[in-house]
Amino acid sequence: MAGPFLDSRDTSGSDLISALRLSQQAPTILRLGSGTKSASAPDTAEEYGRIERLFMACLRTGDDESAEACLERLTRRFGPANERVMGLRGLYEEAIAKDHSALEECLQGYEKTLSDNPVNVPILKRRVALLRSLNRSSDAITALIQLLDAIPTDAEAWCELADLYQSEGLSSQATFSLEEALLIAPNAWNIHARLGELLYVCAATPDGTTARLLGRSVQHFCRSIELCDDYLRGCYGLILASSRMLEHTDGSLDPSLPTKKTLTQLKTFALQKLAEIVKARSVDEENWASSRSELIAAKELLNRFEQ
Amino acid sequence: MAVQGVEQTILRDPALFYWILFPISVVMILTGILRHYATVLMNSPPKSASTLAESRERLALLRVVNLRNHASAVLNRESFEMRKNYMVSGCRNGAFLKDPNKRGQPPANPMTDPAGMEAMTGMLKGNMMMMIPQTLIMSWINAFFSGFVILKLPFPLTIRFKSMLQSGVMTRDLDVRWVSSLSWYFLNLFGLQSVFGFILGSDNAANQMAQQMGMANPAAMANPLQPGQDPDKLYQNEAENLEVMEHFCILDGVEDRILRNFAPQSI
Repeated sequence: MAGPFLDSRDTSGSDLISALRLSQQAPTILRLGSGTKSASAPDTAEEYGRIERLFMACLRTGDDESAEACLERLTRRFGPANERVMGLRGLYEEAIAKDHSALEECLQGYEKTLSDNPVNVPILKRRVALLRSLNRSSDAITALIQLLDAIPTDAEAWCELADLYQSEGLSSQATFSLEEALLIAPNAWNIHARLGELLYVCAATPDGTTARLLGRSVQHFCRSIELCDDYLRGCYGLILASSRMLEHTDGSLDPSLPTKKTLTQLKTFALQKLAEIVKARSVDEENWASSRSELIAAKELLNRFEQ
Repeated sequence: MAVQGVEQTILRDPALFYWILFPISVVMILTGILRHYATVLMNSPPKSASTLAESRERLALLRVVNLRNHASAVLNRESFEMRKNYMVSGCRNGAFLKDPNKRGQPPANPMTDPAGMEAMTGMLKGNMMMMIPQTLIMSWINAFFSGFVILKLPFPLTIRFKSMLQSGVMTRDLDVRWVSSLSWYFLNLFGLQSVFGFILGSDNAANQMAQQMGMANPAAMANPLQPGQDPDKLYQNEAENLEVMEHFCILDGVEDRILRNFAPQSI
């Protein structure tokens, strides 16, 4: 079952497996849809959402033919001038581009589309992503800032900006961007955990603010657990952040930071919780397949702290 | 008054049923469906912003509102103060406006402003869709069928229903249970909503789908500004709201809260 992906990198392993499964069904799904029209292809938003996801899965797993068929169906229904379809078409063209110059051509195509309609959001986003994959991070950041200046209520774009900043090593800007994303979706526990991770990484560079950054990191991890009480990533982060903070607290009594006792308790709590989560999820076969890498990492962390 | 306890009988031609009751119902249902599709046809989706500056003018307002509503869930004091200062000064000196030079001028007359005009014709179209068919059908019924008693309800009613069920029949003594043709029209008009829901699908979902799919990003389409409203005033308002805001943060003390609420007491 999905053997070759066992040793693929953990960050995307779980997603790839499900994407592969989905794209393997693509011919069946597409044949069902295009065959007897009245019976099996309902004209609903869910159906087209499904085709869109199938399209993505096919592109990721290299099944370009099925992807094109999906795109064809969407184009037939919504017309080639639909912004979302244009975005998907761009994605497809980027995916089948053979070399660097083909990608540059895609970029020029985007510029041309944008000169016709400057607020074509999917194309704006594709342009940023393409700039990024062409290794032009600073251009991508500039483009993304332009986009966010016009559309400041797009949490996805703020997260992407944070990611870009982080890859450039600009951690305080990245923090700012993630905070903006959280202002749009204040209860998103994954973004809270992400911000916690970011602050934790920031705290690794030694200067005067380490303790405060770690304190904030712990707070955000705690908040993410508060919002979703069996969030593996939150627990994992809380263990790391609190134990790092325990090492760093050297008697400096900042009242805004948690005390040593609280930190020890938090760490114990998070360890227990993580052990529970790992135990519960390892039993469940379905879960194990989809979040294998997370669970392995969590087990490894637990082992490290037991010794 | 009608004699109590005695059943009123009126000899009705059974053809009344086929030639009045049935046609009125059918016509009402058909016009309902027709109106639905005409609305779908003439419905223009809300226009998205055509330039980046216009989009910013609309959405920056939402950003300020978001900051005001959600700051307590995310930000610590420094980041809040920083954002607050930025937003307040931006709102005050019109940094988010589409056209900062036009501040203070009265808003454009909605009759001459093309965007406002469009919104108004949109409303007008919707109203016309309701008005015209109803006027036509009612005058049709008035012209051909007024004064017919076409139906007897199988249950008794109080006298108050007389004006509702017997419009067009000026008879004081008639039992309330008799229904006139004009009243049957009104009953159909108000009572057929669920029938349309059944025929056209609940919430008439089919027609909204194209729009849903078209919106890659619903957030980018939202428009807090009504036509004819002065965005500058809204921003000044928001600046004031933001200025009086006190900072507090639910992240303060989250560690103790976690330990109290989630951790077992043994730790």
